[in-house]
Amino acid sequence: MSVSPTLVLQLIVNGLVVGGLLGLVALGLALIFGVIRVVNFAHGEFITLGAYLTWMIAGGLGLSPFIGIPAAFLSGALIGWIVQVLFIGRAMERPPLDSLMMTYSLSILGLGLFSFFFGGDFRSYSAGPNGDFNLAGVTIGLRSLSVLVVCIALGALVIMLLRSARLGLAFRALAQNRDAAASCGINIRATERLAFSLAVGLAAVAGALISLIGTTTPSVGDDWLLEGFVVVVIGGMGSIPGALAGALLIGLLQSILGYALDDSWAKIITYLLLYLTLLTRPQGLLGRAAEM
Amino acid sequence: MAVARLNSYALAATIIVGALAAALPLIGASRYQLVLVYYFAYYLALGQAWNLMSGMTGYVSFAHGALAGIGAYATVMAMNAGLPLWLSIVIGAAAAGLSSLVIGATSLRLRGIAFTFATLFFQALTLLIVRKLPETGGAAGLPLQEILPIWLPQLFMIVLAALSTILMMAVRASRTGTRLLAIKGDEAAALSLGIASARLKLLFFCISAVLAGLAGAFHGLFTASLYPDVVFSFDTSITALAVPLIGGVATAFGPAAGALLFVGVGELLQIIAPGLHHVVIGALLVAVVLFMPSGLVPSTVGRLRDGRKGERSPAASREFAR
Amino acid sequence: MTALRTEGLQKSFGGLRAVQGVDLTVETGQLLGLFGPNGAGKTTLFNLIAGEMRPDRGGIFLDGEDITRLPGWRRVRLGIGRTFQVTRPFRDLTVMENVLAGVPRSDATRPHDEASAYSLLERVGLAERAGDPASQLTLGMLKRLEVVRVLAIEPKLLLLDEPLAGLSVRESAELLEFVVTLKAATAIIIVDHNVRQCLPVCDTAMVMDGGEVIAHGLPEEVRTNPRVVRAYLGEEAA
Repeated sequence: MSVSPTLVLQLIVNGLVVGGLLGLVALGLALIFGVIRVVNFAHGEFITLGAYLTWMIAGGLGLSPFIGIPAAFLSGALIGWIVQVLFIGRAMERPPLDSLMMTYSLSILGLGLFSFFFGGDFRSYSAGPNGDFNLAGVTIGLRSLSVLVVCIALGALVIMLLRSARLGLAFRALAQNRDAAASCGINIRATERLAFSLAVGLAAVAGALISLIGTTTPSVGDDWLLEGFVVVVIGGMGSIPGALAGALLIGLLQSILGYALDDSWAKIITYLLLYLTLLTRPQGLLGRAAEM
Repeated sequence: MAVARLNSYALAATIIVGALAAALPLIGASRYQLVLVYYFAYYLALGQAWNLMSGMTGYVSFAHGALAGIGAYATVMAMNAGLPLWLSIVIGAAAAGLSSLVIGATSLRLRGIAFTFATLFFQALTLLIVRKLPETGGAAGLPLQEILPIWLPQLFMIVLAALSTILMMAVRASRTGTRLLAIKGDEAAALSLGIASARLKLLFFCISAVLAGLAGAFHGLFTASLYPDVVFSFDTSITALAVPLIGGVATAFGPAAGALLFVGVGELLQIIAPGLHHVVIGALLVAVVLFMPSGLVPSTVGRLRDGRKGERSPAASREFAR
Repeated sequence: MTALRTEGLQKSFGGLRAVQGVDLTVETGQLLGLFGPNGAGKTTLFNLIAGEMRPDRGGIFLDGEDITRLPGWRRVRLGIGRTFQVTRPFRDLTVMENVLAGVPRSDATRPHDEASAYSLLERVGLAERAGDPASQLTLGMLKRLEVVRVLAIEPKLLLLDEPLAGLSVRESAELLEFVVTLKAATAIIIVDHNVRQCLPVCDTAMVMDGGEVIAHGLPEEVRTNPRVVRAYLGEEAA
């Protein structure tokens, strides 16, 4: 197996696309865990939501799938707000076992609903960009390229929000010290709801993008969630930079391993890496030691 | 004393119900009824296995389906290799038990969510690996070469369900059970009182895994043909946790109510709306977590008791004085 | 007999020296009061002795045995019991189950059964609540349960972390009265902010400020020590 620079670049590009999507997912997970201290097992359902919504827009209505992106974000955020208010917010006053089971139960419910309404078939659509983009021998599908661009843009936007806007400040304050944040006059409930909505909105966008380059099934979100969890555990549970670094790492790793071995092996090795992390450094690369 | 008295009634009830269930084929129950009873026993056994670990310690496991699946594959492979039945079953149970030690050793020293993640990924990992290995038949599945008469795995499952329920009763009534619940309530406080938390968790996870492995082994003997996508799907893990959570976590009879509900709902849905299984289970779980976190049986019993007698009577406390 | 001895204990968090060079001894039958303003390092010292964290330097000896490297639950089995500042009852267990949950020290002399648990509960007036879930208790009752729960495991050394916080004057007096009766078989270290009620019942007292021990001796000496007055009340009062 000769390793030409073109091959390496190709693998890197492929890895970046996957990494970008994982980054959107992991960003949301890290945000929810950091700000609300909840492990959101229902995150995958929002990914699936975005995917099906975009499929209906592009496949059903024949419109551009890029409309799916804002549509996914808005519906994800809105439904997320409702879910947080009605279910997750209430479970939070209880022991942590309850909020874990709440999100998990919601994910079972969500999976059931998607299976029921859409059936188990693999969905895809032909609307949207088609064809490839070629640069220096490296090929990237236009669809994948769009996905990459959107991921980077959105990621950058969210980082800017977290760094500078007042909301971002509120998120970080809440993540550091709940009681202090409350006594500073930060509206805890509103901040939590916003964090959740933003996070699942991002997940829905990831779903929209996934539907563009892959097929949509009722469990597509849960599959990506699993990878997303690997990323946040390795990167550090509540850490945003950890989530991004981890996403990049796992994306590249899976691209290389998928080429060198096969996709199954890529996953197996990734999950074994997770066990290694739990054994040796459970707080992940950038997480806080107290988290685990 | 109150607890001991309840125990012997409950014990007797369990034995009687178990014996009745086992005797059903003899009194001419229909094939359909026998299958229903079998699935009740299967769900109950799985549920008690999960209950003994996650119900008592609060450490949620998503791997019980995988543990059952490992029991199934190990037993079927042993049978196909010509080993006697009893040995094959022991191998199945041991394989599940060993797997639990591997998961537990990496994650039970840590408090919090690490264990749950370790189990989540164990489930995913086993599916991937079993699909790959030629010895396990790969994605095409693994048939049991010498099929057993159907009443045998049915009997095994009923006995397993009864025994695990009795085990749950015994643990609940014991000091060890109190300590497990202490770990669930406040692990830091439990440690400060000398409770060897990591060891207890690992021990009970192992016992729980062995039970799940046995349930899986018997189920494998019952279905006589194993497909990785079915055996290692998350559905079995969901069943294992939903049965006790809905019925009554950390109690002996809660999972029985949960298993009954599962069988009943399953049959009902077959008739009216086959695609709604996950929706109904998910909705039930959400409702239980929101409104009755301790499960149907304890909540109902509590409500009845409060309705009839008001506050807990001081007489109950006086029983402790000797 | 020296139940507990620490030598040169030191613990830093980043740049902050929480505990610097603390030497203390407590004998069986003694009650040591540990006082000091917030941030003085009292809770850190407690956590070091209880085993919740490892010291950067120094040693801890229980009955002459070096326990510096032992994890928390092992120290409990050897005889160190502690309570928490904010009570940590097992809410879903009954009062009786709370008391029975603990594991007695390895060389315990008394039985750890319902009868002995009940008599312990009687001593603090919680016997009537034995069958009630701990979630139904008031703060005063929870504070008493906290102490009784750790007593059930027969500690040689009892670490009481702000047992009086949140209690009324009368409740505090009653709890202290009870604590004093425990001295016979145990060495006790008590940390609290209620100096007025606590200091008089101590056999020795230690005051910390900024991680250091600024006074150590008989209660009366410590109370009038100018450094102590300065630490609590500021320069002007001294």
